[in-house]
Amino acid sequence: MKRPLAVFLPFAVCVCLLSGCWSKKELTDLAFVIAVGLDKTEDGKYLASFQVVNPGNVAGAVQRGGGAAGVPVSIYTSTGDSLVEASRKASEKVSRLLYYAHTNLVVVGEEVAREGMDGVFDALERNQQFRTTARLVIARGHSAKDTLSVLTPIDKISANKIIKTLEFSELAWGQTMNADVWWAIRSLASPGRNPVVTGVVIEGNPKEGKRQKNVQSSVPDARVTLKGLALFKHARLIGWADGPTARGIMWVLDRIHQTNLTIPWGGKREAIGYRIVRAKTNVEADVKNGQPSILVHIKAEGDISEARVPINLADTGVLFRLEKQFERGVKQEVAKAIETAQRERTDVFGFGEAVHRADPRLWKKIEKEWHDRYFPELDVTVTADLYIRRTGLRNRPYIEE
Amino acid sequence: MLFQWGMRRQKERMNDGVQQEGADHSGEAADVLEEPLSPELAVNIDIIRRATGESSDIVIRRFSLGQETQMKAAIVFVDGLVDEKNVYEFLLLPLLTASFPLPLEEKERIQWIEKKLAAVGGIEQVSDWKRLFFNLFSGATILLLDGAALAISASTKGGQYRSIEEPQTQIAIRGPREGFTESLRTNTALIRRRIKNPNLWLETMQIGTVTQTDVAIMYVKGIANDDIVTEVKKRLARIDIDGVLESGYIEQLIEDQTFTTFPTVYHTERPDVVAANLLEGRVAILVEGTPFVLVAPALFIQFFQVGEDYYARFDIATALRFLRVLIFFISLVAPAIYIAATTFHQEMIPTQLVIAIAAQRESVPFPAFVEALAMEVTFEVLREAGVRLPRAVGQAVSIVGALVIGQAAVEAGFVSSAMVIVVSVTAIASFATPSFAIAISARLIRFGLMFLAAILGFYGIMMGLLIMVIHLCSLRSFGVPYMSPLAPLIPSNTGDTLFRVPTWMFRERPRLINQKNIVRQSGGQKPQPPAPSRQEKGDES
Repeated sequence: MKRPLAVFLPFAVCVCLLSGCWSKKELTDLAFVIAVGLDKTEDGKYLASFQVVNPGNVAGAVQRGGGAAGVPVSIYTSTGDSLVEASRKASEKVSRLLYYAHTNLVVVGEEVAREGMDGVFDALERNQQFRTTARLVIARGHSAKDTLSVLTPIDKISANKIIKTLEFSELAWGQTMNADVWWAIRSLASPGRNPVVTGVVIEGNPKEGKRQKNVQSSVPDARVTLKGLALFKHARLIGWADGPTARGIMWVLDRIHQTNLTIPWGGKREAIGYRIVRAKTNVEADVKNGQPSILVHIKAEGDISEARVPINLADTGVLFRLEKQFERGVKQEVAKAIETAQRERTDVFGFGEAVHRADPRLWKKIEKEWHDRYFPELDVTVTADLYIRRTGLRNRPYIEE
Repeated sequence: MLFQWGMRRQKERMNDGVQQEGADHSGEAADVLEEPLSPELAVNIDIIRRATGESSDIVIRRFSLGQETQMKAAIVFVDGLVDEKNVYEFLLLPLLTASFPLPLEEKERIQWIEKKLAAVGGIEQVSDWKRLFFNLFSGATILLLDGAALAISASTKGGQYRSIEEPQTQIAIRGPREGFTESLRTNTALIRRRIKNPNLWLETMQIGTVTQTDVAIMYVKGIANDDIVTEVKKRLARIDIDGVLESGYIEQLIEDQTFTTFPTVYHTERPDVVAANLLEGRVAILVEGTPFVLVAPALFIQFFQVGEDYYARFDIATALRFLRVLIFFISLVAPAIYIAATTFHQEMIPTQLVIAIAAQRESVPFPAFVEALAMEVTFEVLREAGVRLPRAVGQAVSIVGALVIGQAAVEAGFVSSAMVIVVSVTAIASFATPSFAIAISARLIRFGLMFLAAILGFYGIMMGLLIMVIHLCSLRSFGVPYMSPLAPLIPSNTGDTLFRVPTWMFRERPRLINQKNIVRQSGGQKPQPPAPSRQEKGDES
């Protein structure tokens, strides 16, 4: 009885002590990479930028010793043939271990996106620290490094600024998309869908944006702003959709939460504003005689947000006519978006997936040529039902006839 | 030096003669005491004097019995243990004023005296010294007669006791304000007042070979499990110790398992809690000289129950139960989770929070574990100091402590404010645990879990908690599984664990404790609004 115990005990102790979380790291030994940027160097290598949080300088930290407040983030760059190589190489420059579990943003430079970003995501998805819930944006016009270098007021960490802007802009306006890495990977992996990713531009002078001075001014020299949706064909960026076209894409993707539409009325352009508060889009595929067609049905509810012409909003007849008008406006946006995508020969709406669901056998046959042959000629019918639920706090506008 | 001193003491003892000779650990004094009482009064008085080392609180009063006979007699009592008014009015006075009829046989004479003393009560004839001294130190007055080889002991217990006050340890907002005192008799009375039933049985014994402390066990015959009563008696009978100064001595000698941080005997200062436990079939052990009454068998969940749970309505009681279990858990693992999360699982903390914590830790020169350990130890030191110090100084300690822990340490950058928050939350949680006995076991385990968290992270915490749960499940209290009615699961008793069901649903007593008489109350007692009376119905139709 005693012998087996004596043999067993050391093993039991070893199992307890040698397993478990061996990778003990103190917080002060970690460099929290909050955003990763990807560019190409002239000789074709990756140029990775890491936005590392400088915890001592983030608002909320206890200020000690009266030292001048520094910048909340610093950017480290390194080059390599692959993202992992660049990341490891960066340890030559960073005093702490790069830690990716809190990386919430990936910025891909436009150049990299145009050449194809299919090789980028594998490293991100495979790494156990990195989360695919990190947001993805394309640096439009500038390099990812410059985009990450711009210091921002309010949200001190510029990655957070971009993430929050993505989030709330999608909720309130709907012309940009709060897409994450997982969404991009999913779209890339699906033969019936291509990714769309929001673009980010720098307004102003990127060189000035790097300095602390940038956040000390009420009108910063450089500002990071969302602009448009990047249309991808497979992994390559092929074009941009801006303004109402971008919103048309968002309509079809069923990612409109709230937004504002204006329509002409009584001969005046942009006379009546309509605020959508609830929206739902259904995409269905129909296959007849081996010919797929798509039906997009949009249903939305909202309020009158603005009336700049004399109008009697107490009259239901007027409201019905308004609803029809709004429906027309939405349908126009969507039609424009579909037209753009068809011209670019990339199905960013996932219509292919709808066809796949409707007729899997047909899909197997046309899958290969979907984007180039079938999608551009696809017959898409858009219907919209918009309801005016409220007219705001008043009926008649103060403008009299 | 010490050795020499010891030797000298030894010699002195040897030379000291009769009384000290043959003294064993029980401190029984002398050979003389083994012998019966002498018929001569002077000899008896001399023996008492020498046996007690002529202690000044032993009062010996010689007098002559009766007005005519002038029979020599003496009373002996211990000053402070007796009610002196009683002694003089009801014992001495009747004897002094009585006329003694002559001549009488010794036997009749004793009977006559006993009759005279009827006003005092607790009359007992004592013929051996052991009994005599026991009665004497229990507060009896001993009457010695010349020519009789026996003494009469009369109960004159009295003296100063703390009066009944509000309990210090288990304070209730709603519930009786009485707490136990140091007097065994007061305590039994407090319980009897609550259970007016002849089935409430009380058995008294003396434990402690030197102290001869009164220990009483109390149970409700017919509700208490006979096996457990027998077991309690057996364990008490087995105790051979020189002194019992507090019920803690008894607790440690009768508990099922010594090597555990969890208490397997419940103790309380509240008579209502004891009464409730007796009604559930438990056995109470009362010890003279302490307000803490032991209750056995104890279950783990019992330490999360308080009297107020039953006095308050069930919904709030249930919510508070959950809160208490949560509190216990927090006081157990809060620092460990902080250590594990900040050194192993940084990915689990929300980004904003981890950056905030990292910012605070920038200037902290210690690893998280050392920081946490230092703060916890500091807190324990402060707490211990606060408990032990005189009240006036205690306040100063808490101010210094608050400054040291709260402000100076953070400002100096030795510890992070997050750590201060964690330590404070832990401390408050450990104070909020209803039973001190379980709170201190959490205190000990906490350090173990912190250590495990420091080397193994969450894996270590889980391992520690698993070991703890396995250990808890292996514990027994007087043969009853400690974790019951949760493990083993007894569905009909789970209404008083995490949940406290409405009072009318408390149909059964704990099954494992009672086994036989388990029905507590009849069913169908759910209160309802009054049914519409017949007359009203008639009016309607």
